[in-house]
Amino acid sequence: MRPEFGSLTEHVVEFGRRLRAAGVLCGPAEVADALRALQAVDVVDREAFRLALRSTLPHRREDLRVFDALFEPYWMGRATRQQPQDARDAPSQAQAEPLAGAPSVQRWAQGAEDGEQEVPGYSPLEILGRKDFSTFREDELDAIARLVVAIARRIATRWSRRRRRARRSHALDMRRTLRLHLRWGGAFPELAFQRRRVRKHRIVLLCDVSGSMDVYSRFLIQFVYALQGAVGRVESFVFSTSLTRVTRELRTPSLRGALDRLSRSVPNWSGGTKIGASLRQFLDRYGGLLDRRTVVLIVSDGWDTGEVDVLRRAMHEIRARAARVIWLNPLLGSPGYQPLTRGMQAALPYVDVFASAHNADSLRELEHALGKRLRAG
Amino acid sequence: MGDVEARPTLGDVEAILAALAHEGYIADREIATAIYLSIELHKPLLVEGAAGVGKTEIAKVMARALGTDLIRLQCYEGLDVHTALYEWNYQKQMLRIRLEEGSGRSPEEKEQTIFSEPFLLRRPLLQAITHPRAPVLLIDEVDRVDEEFEAFLLEVLSDWQITIPEIGTIRAQHVPYVVLTSNRTRELSDALRRRCLYLWIDYPTFEKELAIVLRKVPGVSRRLAEQIAAFLHAARALDLQKVPGVAETLDWSAALIRLHRDHLDREAVERTLGCLFKHHEDQRVAKGPWLDRALAVIAEAQRDGQALEASLDRLERLAKG
Ligand SMILES: Nc1ncnc2c1ncn2[C@@H]1O[C@H](COP(=O)(O)OP(=O)(O)OP(=O)(O)O)[C@@H](O)[C@H]1O
Ligand SMILES: [Mg+2]
Repeated sequence: MRPEFGSLTEHVVEFGRRLRAAGVLCGPAEVADALRALQAVDVVDREAFRLALRSTLPHRREDLRVFDALFEPYWMGRATRQQPQDARDAPSQAQAEPLAGAPSVQRWAQGAEDGEQEVPGYSPLEILGRKDFSTFREDELDAIARLVVAIARRIATRWSRRRRRARRSHALDMRRTLRLHLRWGGAFPELAFQRRRVRKHRIVLLCDVSGSMDVYSRFLIQFVYALQGAVGRVESFVFSTSLTRVTRELRTPSLRGALDRLSRSVPNWSGGTKIGASLRQFLDRYGGLLDRRTVVLIVSDGWDTGEVDVLRRAMHEIRARAARVIWLNPLLGSPGYQPLTRGMQAALPYVDVFASAHNADSLRELEHALGKRLRAG
Repeated sequence: MGDVEARPTLGDVEAILAALAHEGYIADREIATAIYLSIELHKPLLVEGAAGVGKTEIAKVMARALGTDLIRLQCYEGLDVHTALYEWNYQKQMLRIRLEEGSGRSPEEKEQTIFSEPFLLRRPLLQAITHPRAPVLLIDEVDRVDEEFEAFLLEVLSDWQITIPEIGTIRAQHVPYVVLTSNRTRELSDALRRRCLYLWIDYPTFEKELAIVLRKVPGVSRRLAEQIAAFLHAARALDLQKVPGVAETLDWSAALIRLHRDHLDREAVERTLGCLFKHHEDQRVAKGPWLDRALAVIAEAQRDGQALEASLDRLERLAKG
């Protein structure tokens, strides 16, 4: 693939493709920028050359890391022999033709723009949506994760359209008022100048990652994060026998990688469960996150091995301080299941919405519970 | 695109480093290159990084160095297009209508008058576009807006024109220098990212932080400045809810100076802890047993006349426990 005696332009094009192949958000437009940048810096200065590419090709922190990993191996080999000549080559070539239209850039586009399909072709959507998350094979997980994210995006779009309508109608009213007045005269109506603020919620995610709950929590996290822009901020915690805050770790576009790392580093991931103690820990350390705009989302089967009273008291307090409490119990999705664990029974009186979240369809149904206006202002 | 006067540049990377230093901003070649290319290629610069690492400040010093105005669009949840672009001055319009009562002009004429430029309230984006000289447009904390507004921003940053139904299309005379900042509370769309050049600012290295403290804290001795920079280097490795940024470093340094401290000890640190650590829990962590050991390492290194840099790894390990 690597051209033996290419011009600098061709090498940059090829480097861009490799970045892209490694998952970097980078296409012909970036390569064109990089080539323009190289005309503006002294390309014989190695560091200037590197920084010019680094400012133009990647656009995310994660991509900078990939860039750094690939830069030396790619450019080391070819620099000494070709660079001096290339340095002279590039500008003249660039002046001759608009770069974005350069044949090599076009080839890049054709070669690398393989379609990114949202949903796999081998399994009909309806079946995917109904299947319990825990029954997917390892190699199907990516596909179902994409479906979950696609559902979330659709919901998010719907919400933002709704907000937009609410805002627009207000602005139009003001204009209409004036126009009507111009035409018909008369006393001025009382006019409100403040625009209605559309306030978003905050979501606190408390995910049970003990034993078999792990897989459901993973999907819910991906779902909620894909919604996040439309819903509001998300604060995330995982718990089994104790609680860990993971908001910072999850602040990354590659959630799956982050989740894999976490499952190795969080103590007792996939261990036993102490729900009450974990919720108490949450209240003591992070209780300040709760207010009348906060929706608390708990994912757990309610299988608590601790004191039931600790759980009851913690739930009581959460319910009193948050706007809404949603408990997602994936076992609800199994036919014939009754939420009869002692822990679940203790918690239920403090729960506003009780749902299953065991498959993609049930996540879809969360739209209403999450999007509903909050009780208090 | 515009004449030299209307959209000046800052020269090459070295010149930019010097210009920023002159304005009190300590940068490295990475930052200077990003600024340089953003000016040369006429592309917005997206700056990401943790809180208080100097993202917003970049736009401010750029404006000062370029000798142009800074126009700031502060983003927040619920920011809407009108607040960012333009609004009609309804009060003024109503006044005008009252004044014209009985003037005999037709409603159409009156309408044309009150929906014209003098009745327009220019919000930051319109200001930036109509500015006679390319300003620095700072779109601060863009991660706080929703996708819809983000899509609108992308349109403005691509077309540099705005259509006002009553007036028509207004095209930018000079493309502003644009800086967007984000704390990554929400992921920005790929499209907006790709419209921009990208700069990630990390917490400063020991040397950079030392230079910032020396530059920005009046009355600080080199010895104390080194201790401060070394302490922060270690403290950032603690298990914290909110890691202190440069803003906190500067606050803390100023507090130490006010207390007439010329070196760090437990008592000085405890009295001023609130400047660095905002969460109660973080303050508890910072006061823990590691503190004595860290202060001892710092004191020892300076007593022996070693460069503190040699002890940074050890300090970091202490903080990690
Ligand atoms: N490289 C630097 N040189 C000089 N001063 C700096 C530098 N970096 C940061 N500062 C100072 O630190 C303070 C915080 O910087 P700034 O407000 O730009 O941070 P920020 O990254 O925008 O933070 P936030 O995310 O909280 O908005 C300012 O007072 C700024 O002057
Ligand atoms: Mg800022």
